[in-house]
Amino acid sequence: MTQFDRRHFLGSGLFAAAAATIITPERALAGASPAGWSLAVADVDADVPEETLQLVHGKVPANCDVTLYRNGPAKFRRGTGTSGHWFDGDGLVRKFRVGDGKAHLTARFVDTPKRRLETKLDAIVQPGFGSSRRDGAVVNGPDDTNAANTSVLMSGGQLLALWEGGSPAIVDPETLETKGFKTFRRDLKQMPFLAHPRVEADGTVWNLGGNGKGTFVWKLNPDGSLGKAEMLDVGRASYFHDFTATARHLIIVLQPWVQEGFKFPLSTAMAWKPELGTRILVIDKDDLSKKRTYELPAFSFFHLADGWEESDGTIRFDGCLEENPTFGQIAASALLRGEHIKAPSPMLTQIVLNPNGKADMKTTRISAEFPATDRRRAGQARRFTTHVAGYRQTPFPHAIAIWDWKTGRDDKFDFGSHQLVEEFLFVPTGSGERDGWLMGTTLNLKERKTELHLIDAGRVSEGPLATWRASLPLPLTFHGTIA
Amino acid sequence: MNNLQSICTVIAMCAASISTASIAQNAAAKLDVNFTGIEEKEGAILGVVFNSEDAYNGKGAPVRQIMISADKAEVSTALEGLEPGVYAIKAFHDIDGDMKMSTNPYGMPIEPFAFSNNAVGNMGPAKWADAKFEVKPGANVHAIVIK
Repeated sequence: MTQFDRRHFLGSGLFAAAAATIITPERALAGASPAGWSLAVADVDADVPEETLQLVHGKVPANCDVTLYRNGPAKFRRGTGTSGHWFDGDGLVRKFRVGDGKAHLTARFVDTPKRRLETKLDAIVQPGFGSSRRDGAVVNGPDDTNAANTSVLMSGGQLLALWEGGSPAIVDPETLETKGFKTFRRDLKQMPFLAHPRVEADGTVWNLGGNGKGTFVWKLNPDGSLGKAEMLDVGRASYFHDFTATARHLIIVLQPWVQEGFKFPLSTAMAWKPELGTRILVIDKDDLSKKRTYELPAFSFFHLADGWEESDGTIRFDGCLEENPTFGQIAASALLRGEHIKAPSPMLTQIVLNPNGKADMKTTRISAEFPATDRRRAGQARRFTTHVAGYRQTPFPHAIAIWDWKTGRDDKFDFGSHQLVEEFLFVPTGSGERDGWLMGTTLNLKERKTELHLIDAGRVSEGPLATWRASLPLPLTFHGTIA
Repeated sequence: MNNLQSICTVIAMCAASISTASIAQNAAAKLDVNFTGIEEKEGAILGVVFNSEDAYNGKGAPVRQIMISADKAEVSTALEGLEPGVYAIKAFHDIDGDMKMSTNPYGMPIEPFAFSNNAVGNMGPAKWADAKFEVKPGANVHAIVIK
């Protein structure tokens, strides 16, 4: 097969992965009882109709009027088959609505061709990041395998369920009903759109799609219309799940986890080549042909936080950097089998791109993931990064924290080993960078229920101001948005 | 996918080389091909008809081409004077009227396409074995959902 499916098909972030042969997994905890944490990757069999959550702790601030949308995979098993990777389950969009002192939850699966086909066959057949193509699979374009399971974006009043290898799916923000895939322009059907768009304070959205040697740059205007759509040569077929930006520049981090051909599962088509080092491209938002390049020692990563530029041209951004991609290559697949393969911890690290062309890394030595910031400050200097923390015996974090880059300290609350902590997002209530709440969810393994928490962002270590509990456990989400 | 894209190539480049008149002389069968499920009522349905596995797989020419205005949800064409036998059809909806299967910047086809028997391809065109159907002497009808 040629142009259609080999060189370009799914020529995207999802569509690259690892030569498992070069990885030597340390199955440190393989065989340990999966009884507890495996609820994090359990199946949900049906949509969740709206329910009122039970307030189990604290008091709801009177002025709290927030909707949190979250997305994550929630169906991994059908018939006798199981998805090959945590990243390949069907996306379940959850809406947590807090207002009038009450909280409500609704959750609905994104109605994708993949989900419809697999429901009909009662089998897991579609290929993905870590899943093979099985009998009955139908793959005639990226959106046939689209799991719509990674994040959500509100753009121009439209709620989009994001994956990374194909189109966003349009979801009704009230009912969560799927309205088909979003086509920004007729000739841009089936184009990859990463699940990590960078949103400027005015609502302008920048995103990338696809990670062959060329990627695609998307710019959406604040009203959701298409502002820019251009191919960009990045020179190396690195896998990237995320990128970042300053007010003036896009920053693309090219880890040496590179695509070498095309095959399913996609995670077997990429090789870890640390000898190449990690390359960082800085691209002018107004003229994509203007590029600068920085070189750093090899690291792998999934997530970055917003960047900014100082008056002398120094660029700073942070991310959760890993020594190698073992987690994405094999450990995230093992989770679905109830196995915990120890992978290098992601470390919260600041990357500094100096005007002299040299780049530096400043690690906090803090194990962290899901960095989040005050979105009003996108592209501007900031002092804090919110992150999950408290990695211990399970593969998942147990704490939420805000790192202070000035003092070099975390303000942290540990929910305990019975709680698996998901991404928390910042909800501003005042002008300061800590004037607001952190809102996020956990999976309480003791109660076997999902919980929603509201924390004072200025006093994280004091724990939640309010905690609500759902009637059921939902598997862990990846990302969300505040509306 | 060479073969899918060859639908348009074959139509655009080989059409002139086929003489429907000469084929018609020995024919004893008529085939009505109905295309249904057309969502965007513009452009045309373009198709190619093959009478052998080799030709279907790109090692030969089609015996007929189809070009029908796609102005309704269902459109049809009559192929007169076919020899009875086994055939298969590849078709796509040329919405923008450029006579080509349009692609996105990564080369992915973005116009609806279909095969006879509504056979489904897998990272490529449907197989001959799945798409082939018999045309008997006299009147025949074959329906294809194009999506």
